[in-house]
Amino acid sequence: MPEPLTKELGDRLRSVVGDAWVIADADRLLAYESDGLTAYRKTPRAVVLPRDTDEVSCVLGILSQEGVCAVPRGAGTGLSGGALADGDAVVIGTARMTDMLDLDPENRLARVQPGMINENLTTAAEPFGLYYAPDPSSQSACTLGGNVAENSGGPHCLKYGVTSRYVTGLTIVTYDGKIVELGGFGRESGGYDLLGLFVGSEGCFGIATEIEVRLLPKPEGVRTLLAIFDRLGDAGSAVTEIMAEGLPPAALEIIDGPTIRAVEASVFAAGFPTDAEAALVIEFDGIEAGLTSDVERAVVQCRAAGAREVRIADSAEERLALWKGRKKAFGAMGQIANDLMVQDGTVPRSKLTEVLGRISEIGVRHDLTIANVFHAGDGNLHPNLLFDRSDPEELSRVERASTEIMAVCVEAGGTITGEHGVGLDKRRYMSLVHSPDELDAMRRIKAVFDPLGRMNPGKVLPDLPDSAGAAP
Amino acid sequence: MNPLAGLLSERLSKAQVVDGFETERWAVCGRVPQAVVFPESEEEVAEVLSLSSEEGWQCIPGGRGGWLHGGQPPHGVDVVVSTERMNDISAYEPADQFIEARAGAELDALERRTLECRQWLALDPPGGERGTLGAMVAVGAAGPLQAGFGSPRDQVLGATLVTGDGRVLGLGGRVVKNVAGFDLLKLVTGSWGTLGVITSVTMRLHPVPAIDRSLLFKAPDLTEGATLARHLARAPLSLAAVELLVPGDGESGAGASSPLVAVRIMESVDSADEVERVLSERAGMPPVERLEGEKSAAIFDNVRAMEDGAELVLRLSLLPSRLPDLVEMISRLSDLYDPTAGWGMRLAAHAYTGVLRVMIAKVRRSDAWLDRAIEELGDLRRSLEAEGGSLVVSQSPPEIVGAIGAWGGSGPPVALFTAGIQAAFDPASILAQGRFPQ
Repeated sequence: MPEPLTKELGDRLRSVVGDAWVIADADRLLAYESDGLTAYRKTPRAVVLPRDTDEVSCVLGILSQEGVCAVPRGAGTGLSGGALADGDAVVIGTARMTDMLDLDPENRLARVQPGMINENLTTAAEPFGLYYAPDPSSQSACTLGGNVAENSGGPHCLKYGVTSRYVTGLTIVTYDGKIVELGGFGRESGGYDLLGLFVGSEGCFGIATEIEVRLLPKPEGVRTLLAIFDRLGDAGSAVTEIMAEGLPPAALEIIDGPTIRAVEASVFAAGFPTDAEAALVIEFDGIEAGLTSDVERAVVQCRAAGAREVRIADSAEERLALWKGRKKAFGAMGQIANDLMVQDGTVPRSKLTEVLGRISEIGVRHDLTIANVFHAGDGNLHPNLLFDRSDPEELSRVERASTEIMAVCVEAGGTITGEHGVGLDKRRYMSLVHSPDELDAMRRIKAVFDPLGRMNPGKVLPDLPDSAGAAP
Repeated sequence: MNPLAGLLSERLSKAQVVDGFETERWAVCGRVPQAVVFPESEEEVAEVLSLSSEEGWQCIPGGRGGWLHGGQPPHGVDVVVSTERMNDISAYEPADQFIEARAGAELDALERRTLECRQWLALDPPGGERGTLGAMVAVGAAGPLQAGFGSPRDQVLGATLVTGDGRVLGLGGRVVKNVAGFDLLKLVTGSWGTLGVITSVTMRLHPVPAIDRSLLFKAPDLTEGATLARHLARAPLSLAAVELLVPGDGESGAGASSPLVAVRIMESVDSADEVERVLSERAGMPPVERLEGEKSAAIFDNVRAMEDGAELVLRLSLLPSRLPDLVEMISRLSDLYDPTAGWGMRLAAHAYTGVLRVMIAKVRRSDAWLDRAIEELGDLRRSLEAEGGSLVVSQSPPEIVGAIGAWGGSGPPVALFTAGIQAAFDPASILAQGRFPQ
């Protein structure tokens, strides 16, 4: 159980944020005991909900004086346990920092507070013909602050790139309450790309309290296709062919046979043939004049690769219907299993088929159902391991299978996480991709921002060998 | 051989070290090194840097030496470590759209190789095509194509770095999506040699587009040119580049140079015509010239070469919407250059980022010219910074950059991080010290 907040510390925090915004009673703390990766649970000592940069600065200043660690948290939709806090740490939540600070359509820029929900930014930009490109699957719930921490991706990052390409400036607060401005569009400050370093640092360097991002003009047209394959490898070949010419599609997503069957057995049934082994969703966007030929070319390429059937959406409703199976895949799997371990690895695209074959073997060997949903265009895999948390033996098989899947991704020339982050879950795999010198270099850079190790402790970096057992 | 060169050649070989007059073309901001060393492997780079750490020699990493004269002058220049002899392509997987080469590989060698598979590196940094991959990443240099494809920071997938104390670090990887740990690759991109010697780089590639077309629109004057460039850049299209260009004297045929807006379209066959139609309609006039394929590329190759032969290169920036104001501010610089020398002054502005490059062939050397130049540029920098912008001196006579510095102010906390980051990679402080504001 967490160590209770002392009256004095509680009073000092309340004097900054107001009585209602310091949460310390056990019942209410339950809401903060896990994130989207429910296999891990921890209860923080308290949760503080500041309103703006100055309040964050005061809160961190107080925690720093008291020697208490801080864990930043957005909406808690992360999938690597990155927002979990041990009982001796205080969570700083951004739930009250949801304002649009500035929207500048002329320069296609927005400045927002970190608690703003990803989708709300696009909604606000829409009247100006603009939108925010990175679209994690959780975009209707996840926050932009969380996206910055994780350097989030999403299906459309294939064409448009991940969060780091869109963040142009940040106000950050470091562990001791120092407020620092990084970047800012319209100036070249010289020096290191601290902005690029901070994006994806998973709350280990500080808290972003204001975020400046680039917006894009909405494409004139969008076309969506769905191709059904009898063999997963054929879908993979179609992806390679489609990527080999011209501008990349906006998205190239595959759901595999087990996922198709889970979707069709659920309330989200999307009309996929249940004997198929892969469904490939292809989306093109851009100016209308070019889309017809893009679509025609993709149809030919899918057929040549062995597609049994290709459906082309003719209306917005049909487009949504084609996406439904992809977008509701997680929800569907939630209906057929109590728990879900969503894995995340990236491999070079040409290795997709081989790696998926090996993941399937791993599933058989450990007697687990593994269903794959993935961003095929950039080789970003999401194997979903279905299990029941109340069965410790099954949980241990899930962990062994996860470790093997990571090793397969690395062996194929890929990496252990493409977009979910390392957090708590993947620290143990870090040495698969990084040498001791590389991990040491990361440790030294963290110490530049956070010399006392107070920001999001126990995340990203594995424990040093001589302190083994200090924290899981 | 001087003693320093002698010690280095004992560690490597005589054929890998030069000193004396041969080092002159490797001058760093006007300062000639005592020796230039040409390691052939990561181990040899580590050996050179470890020895330099022991001896306290100031080292400047370089490729073929093309960008050494630019930027903020380092405190000392004892050894230039050139990656020129580490120049092979180590891995190229067309299906996975990446190429990995050692740092000394020339950009045009990569281009030749990737074109065989109808792929290309969508970057057009200033300088010749014989610039090296490592140097481009080290200075983070980008050109007009950053509008459509991003800058090196968005396209470098991985790199190998030998740190000041000789540790070999593999950063990033070969895949586009990678968030396995802190992104040290971002720190190294644009680090100007202050964190280590980059020995290999993995880059993302793109398929060659079906159509490469450039449209040139003419503007009556600079302010209208800036307004037009912004107007075209605001079209709801994804354009590869939109650049406002003013050639130097005598470089645009007869008479005074008039501003041009060059728009580069990289699209499929069907879309290109439609994009062209939308742009012409938006411009309210047809383009004065329309160039296709190699001719389109050639226009933008000229933009890459605009800094060649310039004595002074400045990068001014404000928010892109302020581009028309920004181009008006440079009238203040008219005293600074010698209109009779060579091509006088060239201008190039990125319409999407709002960065305006000013290239001056020769600085006017009249009475008290230096004091005046320092005052003018200092004033301009202060006005820009007061409005959230900046002025960077990318190349200049040593006297000017020595007095006002290449970079503007970044404030104390950022400077504190800078010192800490350098110490983490280069504990003996031997690498390009002084290249960044401390």
